[in-house]
Amino acid sequence: MSSGTSLYDQIAELRARYPDPRSAILPALQLAQAEHGGWLPEEALRGVADAMDVTPAYCLSIASFYDMFHTEPVGRHVVEVCTNVSCALSGAQGVVEAFERELGIHAGETTGDGNVTLRTVECLGGCGWATVVALNNRHRLHVRAGDVYGIVKELGE
Amino acid sequence: MTPGGDAGAGVRHTADTVTVTIDDREIEVAKGTGLVETAAEAGIEIPVFCYEPRLGPPVGACRMCLVEIEGLPKLQAGCTLTAQEGMVVRTAATSERAAHGQQGTLEFILVNHPLDCPVCDKGGECPLQDLTFRYGPGSTRMRFPKLTFDKPIPVSPLIALDRERCILCYRCTRFSSDVAEDGQLIARNRGAYSEIATFGEDPYRAPFSGNVIELCPVGALTSTQYRFEARPWEITDVPTVCGLCPAGCNIRATTREGAIKRVQSRNHPEVDGGWICDKGRFTFPAVRADDRVREPLARGELGLAPVSWDAALDRAEELLRGARGRIVTALSGSETTEIAYGLGVLVRRGLHAHSAVLHESTSSALDAFRTPLSTIGAAELVVVVGDDEILDRAPAVDLWIRRARRNGAEIITIGARGTMRTAPGGAAEALQELLASRSALGKRLRASEHAVLIWSGAGGGGGARLAEVADALGFAAKPGCGAFHLPATPNARGVAEAWAAAADEDEVEVEGIGLLVVSGDEAASDPAVRALAEKADAVLAITMFHSLVVGWADLVLPATAALEREGTSMNLEGRVQRLRRAVTPPVPDELAWLAKLAGRFDVALSPYPAVVFEQLSERLYGGLELGQLGEQAPLPARAPYIAPAPAHTDAQTAHLDAVEGHFVGTLRLLRYTPLFSGPEVERVAELQFQRPEREVALAAGDADRRGIATGDMVTLRSNGTSVELRARVDRKLVEGVARIAEEHAADLHLDVEVVRV
Amino acid sequence: MSTATEIVFGGTHGGALTELADYEAVGGMTALRRAREMTPNEIIEELNASNLRGRGGAFFPTGRKWSFVPTPEQNPRPHYLVVNADESEPGTFKDREILLRVPLRFLEGCLIAARAIQSQHVVVYIRGEYEREWEVLVSALEQMRKAKLLGDVTIVVHRGAGAYICGEETALLESLEGKRGQPRTKPPFPAIAGLYASPTAVNNVESIATVPPIIEMGGAEYAKLGRPDASTGTRVFSLSGNVAHPGNYELPHGFPLKDLIFEVGGGIPGGRTLKAVIPGGSSTAILTAAEAEKVTLDYDTLAAAGTAIGSAAVIAIDDRCCIVQLGVRISQFYEHESCGKCTPCRVGTRWTTQILKRIESGEGTHADLDLLIDVGEKVNGTCLCPLGDTAMIAIASYVAKFRDEFVAHVEEGGCPFHGTSSLEGILAPTDVHAAHVGPAEITRPLEVVA
Repeated sequence: MSSGTSLYDQIAELRARYPDPRSAILPALQLAQAEHGGWLPEEALRGVADAMDVTPAYCLSIASFYDMFHTEPVGRHVVEVCTNVSCALSGAQGVVEAFERELGIHAGETTGDGNVTLRTVECLGGCGWATVVALNNRHRLHVRAGDVYGIVKELGE
Repeated sequence: MTPGGDAGAGVRHTADTVTVTIDDREIEVAKGTGLVETAAEAGIEIPVFCYEPRLGPPVGACRMCLVEIEGLPKLQAGCTLTAQEGMVVRTAATSERAAHGQQGTLEFILVNHPLDCPVCDKGGECPLQDLTFRYGPGSTRMRFPKLTFDKPIPVSPLIALDRERCILCYRCTRFSSDVAEDGQLIARNRGAYSEIATFGEDPYRAPFSGNVIELCPVGALTSTQYRFEARPWEITDVPTVCGLCPAGCNIRATTREGAIKRVQSRNHPEVDGGWICDKGRFTFPAVRADDRVREPLARGELGLAPVSWDAALDRAEELLRGARGRIVTALSGSETTEIAYGLGVLVRRGLHAHSAVLHESTSSALDAFRTPLSTIGAAELVVVVGDDEILDRAPAVDLWIRRARRNGAEIITIGARGTMRTAPGGAAEALQELLASRSALGKRLRASEHAVLIWSGAGGGGGARLAEVADALGFAAKPGCGAFHLPATPNARGVAEAWAAAADEDEVEVEGIGLLVVSGDEAASDPAVRALAEKADAVLAITMFHSLVVGWADLVLPATAALEREGTSMNLEGRVQRLRRAVTPPVPDELAWLAKLAGRFDVALSPYPAVVFEQLSERLYGGLELGQLGEQAPLPARAPYIAPAPAHTDAQTAHLDAVEGHFVGTLRLLRYTPLFSGPEVERVAELQFQRPEREVALAAGDADRRGIATGDMVTLRSNGTSVELRARVDRKLVEGVARIAEEHAADLHLDVEVVRV
Repeated sequence: MSTATEIVFGGTHGGALTELADYEAVGGMTALRRAREMTPNEIIEELNASNLRGRGGAFFPTGRKWSFVPTPEQNPRPHYLVVNADESEPGTFKDREILLRVPLRFLEGCLIAARAIQSQHVVVYIRGEYEREWEVLVSALEQMRKAKLLGDVTIVVHRGAGAYICGEETALLESLEGKRGQPRTKPPFPAIAGLYASPTAVNNVESIATVPPIIEMGGAEYAKLGRPDASTGTRVFSLSGNVAHPGNYELPHGFPLKDLIFEVGGGIPGGRTLKAVIPGGSSTAILTAAEAEKVTLDYDTLAAAGTAIGSAAVIAIDDRCCIVQLGVRISQFYEHESCGKCTPCRVGTRWTTQILKRIESGEGTHADLDLLIDVGEKVNGTCLCPLGDTAMIAIASYVAKFRDEFVAHVEEGGCPFHGTSSLEGILAPTDVHAAHVGPAEITRPLEVVA
């Protein structure tokens, strides 16, 4: 799958992997989201619909069901802090608040310059390595409030 | 409980039935019967919201139907179960657990429901309201802010959505995805925040959208036409039949104070399966159109002007006599069989004028393969022949075909947009070739016990050519096989047969047109009829709408709408169905004044549809009585096969030759009449969004060669006339064709040049 | 305390075996070769002898599950093996480590399992958040493909996109078919009509990764590990929460819970004391510290103690935690993850969050406590899948075990922890969500660093 091929062709290739082409909808949306700066604007959903031979509405019903798809704009970086029980017991709220202070936004918001979106998320499956923070889907483990300044610095570059 | 209900139970046992016990009562039902239906058979209610067998397999989402099954630890969703031998079921009536569970479900459903019944259109006919009274808790323990939403949201100009009332039973979205398969109405988000939605700002634009209003068990989806118009206790429902296409879906017209307020499905399981299209549902306001002809109009010095009925009948008599038999009658095919007969009696018997034109010919040869439309849903192989979309000719058939496909049937379409693409007009020939060449398809059709042929397009002798194929395939002896012709007009068969029945002498050829009688709005808006009018000395038009005839009629007599008529109509199956008058029309019945006019020419014609039907029935339907039609008319038995007259070279074949010879660079114009078109649709503002875009469809190859992409504006030219339209690449369309809705094709000729603007 | 009963992680010596050569050097792929000489039935028999039970949480005997899949002669449609790698149960992070450290053993298990159910099609549904795990798995698969170890079997690695419910097998199948991940009605069970309405076995990652060792050592030998009853073999326990050394530990079933926390896990840090333990993932009933002292980690013992081994995810909770706040946070999780299909779960999980929040705020009454329990009872056992059931079982257990603390909130008109609870102020995704849908509840002041 070369980067030069169109979304339509890439999705066609994904569809061919499954006995029922509709199974390719999650990978197709993942592809489209990556191509559209981390979220799925209407045109992205229309593009996927065309390639998947479904309606844009169908794509929306799928995209809005799963947490990892964003139907609203997100920043260039997405910071997701797990606040489920194990992380919470280990200080996740302190990490959330540190990010809120450093970024000057509430969880659920994007910085004014469009650089960072901060979210709290449910269990990321790293309970023994709390607190888990996903930076653009790559997990940082054992994050403490004190680490946040450095992480935000990284994202600023 | 002994499974099987042995000695003393007195229950007969066969391999095909099972006995279950519900609330201590033994019930014997056919194997595979749903538990909800099984209970209903014994008069026991298992209440439901999401359950609706017509939507496909049960989903068990709402949890209203919870029952206790002996031997199972958890309460079960009754709707997802079928009756099993020896099953012991307890509903809320005899099980405290089930009652507790059901009460819980209702309490949960009402947690976010606004309880605004006094201002809700559904109030009084609301399953949620009814079931809450029967099974619900008396008061709520919910003391938190309910979920709130903006409301009502216009899902389309036809449907309003109130998300606060929505109980998320998913009936509407299942209809959209699993029945109509339009994929437009969806559930968005997850969990408590799930909501019904369309894509962005897009309206729910699909031919069957209105069915979701009827499916909604609460007041979440309401008709914009019906909102705040009436209360269930002040309405009268009239059972009748839709008069807008040849499927003849059974409908119910809701009236209040002498006005039609809405149209709903009346579920004839063999005809429509309980679904109707948006044209059938939403066009009724056309009867109140501003340009409705409410009194006779006669051409005077200042154009058309109202005249009294006496003067109008005098003028009509004068025109009819003056033509001296040189009369051509242009029929719409939307008349009731009785009106067509009445008109036929007047001009044929009274004036010896036998010339008539109908949009398309019809044939009774298919009666040898007659079968209910529902047969299609159970077919394993469906072959559709013709260039017209099924949806545009008889939408209900489209749903049956989709159902067949979901059940695993193979659907083969032969036509300009078919799975087997043919040049326009070439579908019939392609079918013949397939059968003649002992193709795999031919073999399968011969071998199948569940195959259906459908003719959806012009030509073919009104089904005669299809009948020959069906006969050759041996369909006459196979009850699971059938063949259907989809006429272009609602009552084409009935009108043609009534016209024939009205003759009492041999036809005589006459030269020229002294008087053109235009019967109905479809005929009045047909360009071919207008062309005839130009050759006629005078024109007598019978129409509902003033603007259709304003420039060219000499006398206009007001017509009634199907919803205002008593009478019968024959649908595409050959089923005679009864129309009942939902409201009194603002003008007299056609038969009333036709009878008066007939009297002036010394022919007998009753003004009463029932009497006319009786006369007709003796000649056409073997003395069938009106009463026998009932609310759900039966389908007559198959008739013996009588080979139709052989095909003669008609315009269709001529077109075919033209296509072979078309010079390079031009495309063949393929006109189609969209479902959402016609004089009535044009007069309903809220239906306009359903009409086709101003566009031309082109095959991908043709578009590529011309450097045209979807969305580009293109000019179509032929013989000095031109039209500008938006282009759309249609991946299904055969090459060499420009497909345009009739209303946008204007005066374009057969060969058109297509260039980007 | 020895922790050296490594079966799933055997041969890793604490590291990872991600290169085929390294894996083969410790005996990898010998089970596959052996299995290829066995009939499908022989493989199933070996599994039956091992008494391996599903490691995802349902504890259903793996061999029996496979035996339910009809043979190709009985059902000619393609057969599917679907591996549930959608690990999302709070507290659970074992499958992730298995995929990272022994991906080849896992894939070897896939091939053996596929042979057992006579399938040529394997789909691994891996949760979307596991990006690195996905990369490691794909790389391992590529190595096996190059080494021509796959035979006639196709393995597709399919990434989820963030939905806990897709860990439920029928929701997973729906998701895999390109639909919203909502559970299906059963019957039909997946073995009869699963993926694409075809015969399908759905197994957990750890179960599959345990298959090669079972074939290698023999089912009977494996059954000697752990306990002689239902809980044979080893288990990868995920230990998290307030312990000194959280992590995944592969131990024999029947291992004492207190030893896991205090010996293996190094005890409760910071001089705190153990208050409660969630023994098998967030869906299981809580144990008080006193109860935790007494139980061993196996199916029967935990069932007898009124809870469950679930996904073997042990969360230790120290005395700083307000149990009402724990209830709020758990309820919020299930509210967020309810798929929205069944009314009681969709509405009930949101309602219990509201009730618990009110109790936590000090505005709750004794009637609210009763209401909480009653709502839970009306959700429990009335839905298609167990999501709502387990949410309510967990919450009800908090009230049952720590009733005094709930009552104190009501009677003192506030949280007895006065802001010092370890879960104080924790911000769940539903708190953020609520700001967008429905009336906003609280606006938190924001401190901005200059």
